Order: sequence, then structure tokens, then C-alpha cells
Amino acid sequence: MFEDEIRTIKRLGVRMILLQILNFASVIASGLMIWKGLSLVTNSESPIVVVLSGSMEPAFYRGDLLFLTNPVSELYKTGDITVYKIPGADIPIVHRVMETRDTPIKGWDKLNATTPHPVTQKLLTKGDNNAVDDLDLYQGIEWLERKHIVGKVRGFVPYVGYVTIAMNDFPQLKYALLGGLALLALFQRE
Amino acid sequence: MSNVINELLEGKIDFEGQRLVETLVSWVMIIAAVISFIAGFALQSLQVTFGLFAASIVALAFVIIPPWPMFNANPVKWLPAHTEAQDTKAKAS
Amino acid sequence: MHSIFARLNNSTSLLSSCLMGLLFAISLTTFLFNEEAHGQIVPASVKVLDARLPRQRYRTQEAVFTQFNVTADLTPLFHWNTKQVFVYLQAEYNNSKGVQNEVVVWDRIVRRKSDAVIRTRAMSKYSIRDLTRSFKKIPGAHFTLKYNIMPYVGVLTSGDIARTSELVTFPAAQRAVS
Repeated sequence: MFEDEIRTIKRLGVRMILLQILNFASVIASGLMIWKGLSLVTNSESPIVVVLSGSMEPAFYRGDLLFLTNPVSELYKTGDITVYKIPGADIPIVHRVMETRDTPIKGWDKLNATTPHPVTQKLLTKGDNNAVDDLDLYQGIEWLERKHIVGKVRGFVPYVGYVTIAMNDFPQLKYALLGGLALLALFQRE
Repeated sequence: MSNVINELLEGKIDFEGQRLVETLVSWVMIIAAVISFIAGFALQSLQVTFGLFAASIVALAFVIIPPWPMFNANPVKWLPAHTEAQDTKAKAS
Repeated sequence: MHSIFARLNNSTSLLSSCLMGLLFAISLTTFLFNEEAHGQIVPASVKVLDARLPRQRYRTQEAVFTQFNVTADLTPLFHWNTKQVFVYLQAEYNNSKGVQNEVVVWDRIVRRKSDAVIRTRAMSKYSIRDLTRSFKKIPGAHFTLKYNIMPYVGVLTSGDIARTSELVTFPAAQRAVS
């Protein structure tokens, strides 16, 4: 079954295989670079997320792809759709901001301030498809704060992220895909 | 029998056919995308855009995937095989 | 391009680029549509109740319940890339400690152009509560009707529809019945 492959390896030699591995590694590295670059530009730890739950239907369905930004210069407003992550919870949540409370910081001074705004924000969110707000999801925290927020949803592409959900639901698919990619990268001849 | 099936599945076409397919694919796809965008925008309907685009892609697939005779109209003309007599003659001269 | 597999392989890569281009072009058209929605909000009833709200850990606090007559025409917001419009009414006020508050009291999701003309009595879906738990020192609030457009693909946009011209005053708190 693998006779052909083994023969190819023999013919190409170790040097060729190393080259192919290097190619593969450079593809992965450039992907990572783009991801981290986007992170820097958008100031968000994960600038692209896939919707995992139906709590924002009919705006977002499972598998939709969201583009986030988290500009330092902007405060969050009601109506914004945010992605937040509560410490201790493993998955980020996409919900809409329903309440904002901007408390002024005493003695805020533009020149030596640690925050770009003279206020700290407390936020309350709710999923469009949920009957009540997210207080129960906050795991004891009473208000969402800026540090919990991954970003604000700016752009949207439907369905594209469904591949990742399918891979989570059927792990075999993930291994098959990764294995196939690796084989293709090793045995591809130009 | 299996040879025939294999050949049908492989669907080989000649070099001229390959060039034809390539120009066909790029032109039809790009023009289909542009036209469906304009039509959908004019009628203010994404359904029109994607319906039209999908229809043109299906039609295109029907044209380019099977090895139609028009893609095999220019078979490669191989040079005649050398015979031993010719070789010896060439060596002598 | 010699075999069926090669033809499929080479064509799908161009197909995905074409689809991406198409989606990008569609999302760009969002910027061509900048029609405004018009509407009006008229306060009908504002009540401050002394309430024990179970979700607020049974603390006694004052909560404001409002009713507004909302009329709005959102039809200009519906174009080929509009999936839904989220309309919401929010209260804006400053409390005695200088905290600036914005609280959504009513919202509605409009998914079809035929439902885009709104004429309703918007009863508060969510009550207004304050961090100080009392509205005694807060004279009133301004209310704004806003919208948020979800596209089929591309950027999310938002805007204002109407705003109350005068401060909507909060009356003294009543003890909640039941």
C-alpha cells in the first residue's frame, strides 16, 4: 500500500524531505504571524471568532465568523455586540451590551494616566435570543469590565466557521484533515 | 472493463483542450461573478446574486469536467519511431 | 488540467477567490446606503417602584418602569444586505455621583421590510436600576431610540432615530403592589 510512498522517500533523499518539512513549518509560521499581527492591529487577543451558540439568533448562527476590534480609544456603547471572556469560563461569549455605567476616575490626569479615558466602565450584556440578561453567566462578577472584553463585533461572514465546529463535534475529521495535509506537504512534487 | 472505467474517470484531454478549458474557466467565472453582482444589486436581492452565480458555475462544470470531444480535437502528433536501419545509416554518414 | 481531478482542483481555487471577491464587493456596498430612519418617541408613563428584584440578590432598590409611544419608519434601512435591524430605546442619565448611565429599556428585532413601520406602545422590557439603588437624587433621564443593522455579510452599522427633546422626569417612588 505504501510501497509507492516509500519508494518516493528513497528517491528524494533525506535532504528533500527536510526541505519539505521546512516548507510546512514556514506555512504554519506565517499563519501564526498573520494572526498575531491582526491581534496587534485590532488590540484584541483573538480578532476572529466563530459563533458557538445560538444565543444571538437571528443575528448570528452557529458557525458564523466574526471580526473583532478592541480600540483603546473607544468606550463601549449600548447596542454594541461584544465578545467577552469571564475568567474561569473556557469559551468566550458573544452578546449585546444592554447597560453601560461610566464611573469617573478621581484625579484622572491626561498626561500621566494609565487609561485613555477618565472613566471606568461597567457593562451588562444580554443575548438577543435569551429571555434574561447575563448576570448568571458572570460567575459571581456583578458587572462586566473592560478587561473581560475580547472585542466588539465589526464584521460578519456567515457559515464559514462551521468547519471548526464540525471538527470539534467530530474529532476524527480533524485528525484526518491534519494527516492528509501533512502527507500532501511531504509528498508534493513540483 | 476496469480500464475503460479508469479512463472515463480520468477524463484525459489534449494540450489544446487544456488551454481552452483554462481560458473558459477564468473568463466565465469572472464574468459570471460580475454579472450576478450587478443583477443582484439592481434588483436589490442577494438571492438573485447567488442563484445566478451558482447556476453559471453548475453550467460551467458541466462544460469543463467531462472530456468532451472538442477538448480532444488536437491529439499530440508523435514523431515516427526510429528503425534500426535509419540509426545505422545516420551513424555511417 | 489534463484529468478531471486536475480540472476540478484548479477551478475550485479560482471559484473560492471569485466567491471571496463577490462577498467583499457586497459588503462594500453597505457604505453606499446611508439613508436615515425617522421616528418619534413620546413618554406615556414613568413609574418608580420600590422593588425587590430576585435577580438582584433580593436587595431592595428602586426601579424605573416606563412606557413610550414609539413611531418609527425603518424601511430606508432595508437594502439587499440587511439581515435584521435591532431597534432599541435607551435611557441616559447621570446620577448624583457623576456616573454616566445608559440603559436599554425596550428592544425589538425587525427582520422584514414589511415589518419596518413601527407604531407601538413600548412598555419597558428591562427596568432601569441605579448603582446607588435610589432615584431620589436623579431628576430624570433623556431617552433615545437607536438602531443597529446586521448585514448578511460585512460590516455592522448603527445610528440614532429619535431623542426626547425634554428631560423625562422621575416621580417619587411608590411601594410596589404585591
